Amino acid sequence: MKNERWTIGLAVFFIITSALTLFVWIPIDIETGVVETFRRRVNIGDAMAPTVVAAAILVVSILMGIMALIRPSPNLMVKEGLDKQSFNFLSRMIIPLGLGLSLMLYAGPLVVDFINTMGGEISTYRQLKDTFPYKFVGYSLGGFVLVFGLVRLIENRSSLSAAWAAIIAVLLLTLLYEVPFDNLLLPPNGDY
Amino acid sequence: MGLLDHIWLGIVTVFTADPVFAIAGLPISITIVMVFFGFLFGIFVGATPGIGGPFAMAISLPILISIFGFNPDALLPVLGFLVGIMKGSTVGGAVPAILFNTPGTPDSLMTTLDGYPLTKRGQPGKALRVAHFSSVSGDTFSDIVLITCAPFLAILVEKFLDFPEKAALIILSLAFVSAVVGSNVWKGLLAALLGLFMAYVGTGEDGYPRLSMGSDYLANGFPLISAVLGVLILGEVFKAFEEMWREMRETSTITNVEVKGDNKLSLSDVRRILPYIGISAVIGTIVGALPGIGNTLAATLGYATGRKIHKGDPAFGEGAIEGIAATEAANSAVAGANLIPVLSLGIPGNISAVFILLATETISGFNPGPAVFRLVPGQINQEMVYAFGLFTTMIFANGLNWTMGGIFMRWMGVMVKIPKQRLLPIVLLLTLTAIYVQQTSMFAVYVTIGFGFLGYFMRKLKLSVLAFVIAFILANNLEESMRQAFAVTGADPWFLFAGPVSISFMVLAIVVVVFFARNQKNLS
Repeated sequence: MKNERWTIGLAVFFIITSALTLFVWIPIDIETGVVETFRRRVNIGDAMAPTVVAAAILVVSILMGIMALIRPSPNLMVKEGLDKQSFNFLSRMIIPLGLGLSLMLYAGPLVVDFINTMGGEISTYRQLKDTFPYKFVGYSLGGFVLVFGLVRLIENRSSLSAAWAAIIAVLLLTLLYEVPFDNLLLPPNGDY
Repeated sequence: MGLLDHIWLGIVTVFTADPVFAIAGLPISITIVMVFFGFLFGIFVGATPGIGGPFAMAISLPILISIFGFNPDALLPVLGFLVGIMKGSTVGGAVPAILFNTPGTPDSLMTTLDGYPLTKRGQPGKALRVAHFSSVSGDTFSDIVLITCAPFLAILVEKFLDFPEKAALIILSLAFVSAVVGSNVWKGLLAALLGLFMAYVGTGEDGYPRLSMGSDYLANGFPLISAVLGVLILGEVFKAFEEMWREMRETSTITNVEVKGDNKLSLSDVRRILPYIGISAVIGTIVGALPGIGNTLAATLGYATGRKIHKGDPAFGEGAIEGIAATEAANSAVAGANLIPVLSLGIPGNISAVFILLATETISGFNPGPAVFRLVPGQINQEMVYAFGLFTTMIFANGLNWTMGGIFMRWMGVMVKIPKQRLLPIVLLLTLTAIYVQQTSMFAVYVTIGFGFLGYFMRKLKLSVLAFVIAFILANNLEESMRQAFAVTGADPWFLFAGPVSISFMVLAIVVVVFFARNQKNLS
């Protein structure tokens, strides 16, 4: 039974979410019905496919839960589900991932704002997003933190070689897109 | 225009369209160049533990689309590169398995059983040569079956299948994939249904995008490429991160290995392994033509069959070259045959086929399915030309594989020295960058990461990511077929049971699910 607890949990989760989808989400978030009549012609409406699928998820989840209860898997070697270590890892992985992406998105505009605040008056990031060096600030910093942070997390130590690997990777990726293509924008410049 | 004209046009397009340079006055087309580089890249990634063909295809696709754009002219160069990766990675995958007992992918696990003992005996060169010869033979056989069968199957499908039958066929394929992938039929079905549901967000025919919660970001649904790359690639990357993180904490080291010597493959060796290659190539091709089963089962079946017929020393598992041949021929024969359901039905059977379909979905001008091989009197069916162009790239890639594959394969032994813990974070950044460059929106990056976490959780909970992805891709085809079938049958609610063919597909779908639910065997 211990081996099936994740399966049963999964079944319960999908029973609840599919029921909510069927009876709450679909009715309020789809404007046509399961079928609709237009000029005396009956057609399938936008609600049909999601309704059928959500109902099928509900049925399959119930069957999956029942089968897990009455016929647990004999294979005890297959490790299933997440343990404490998994959650520990995920909570740590989110840090370099979140920090890297935040830096990627905001570092460029922050640098431009900082220079402007210091009296530089260099214009806005939106106007400088395709200008050296501003267009590389976010990607370089964010990319470096993302790669270096993840290597550091996995190796459980900071090393100079990991930092170099991250710098070279960011440099190579920047060259890969910047040198041959004039019309491509590195992250996050297309969003500004 | 007849069939032969289309075949000729396909070949000519591959070899002559858009030449980039000339060798001795002979123009070399961009497609040929792309197949060549894709092939080299494929061997490179295949030989790198932790990365494989699907990874490389996933990373390359957005970059290729950024380079070549969305016009039909981009089709053959992009598909050529992907085909090159597919072929190259098939032979490259045996390198770490043989030299370092490190199966880069699950299907090379069986190659380690005899490959590594040969390496330990000081014959890694012989093992690599056997693997190369067997792999390319299996792959070539599979391609011949693809090229001869896919058009005829497509013509049959086109002749006998109307909208209700097409909808029923998609349901049967999804039921089959859900049932055979993974250890639990219910989880397979759940994964496929989840894929369908996610694909229905933000789509539909009404002015208001359904299930979009009023968000502009969801108004066009989840970007296909973000969803597929997220679940397939990022999910795998996150899981690999966790495994390395755990390994580091438990052993303070991450397993890396060293390179050893070389050897030859004699004519008598070839005679010894040919029967095993033949049997495994047939097994791999049959398995490959069925959606969802894939390389691992083919390798296992090929190896098991080879072991049954093998007599003499060394025994299987102790360094028998027949063992390597049986495994490599079987798992390589899956590659070509896997494109049979894609090209004739528009239904992908494995991850490589998913990326081929994804490329054709993204670039206009070619929609794999029965209509591809339709002959229109007096007209050129451009889609058929592309299909034969695709076959030409496969044959050309096989030619490269026969002539240069073995040499490149043996050079790639050094790839195993690249530490995975350094490489995978770079792969993550490269994937996110590729997604951004193609979609030019951080939202697409966030969606990719979101689907990456979904893929991670699905792997941890043993929900099949392949069933999810195939369902996500086929969701709109299924809905469209259903809408059309409902309309052409005069709003008959039983349209899926309107004719004998659709009834048989639906009954077969139920039989498949019930059969596998009663026999919970791991066929993955």
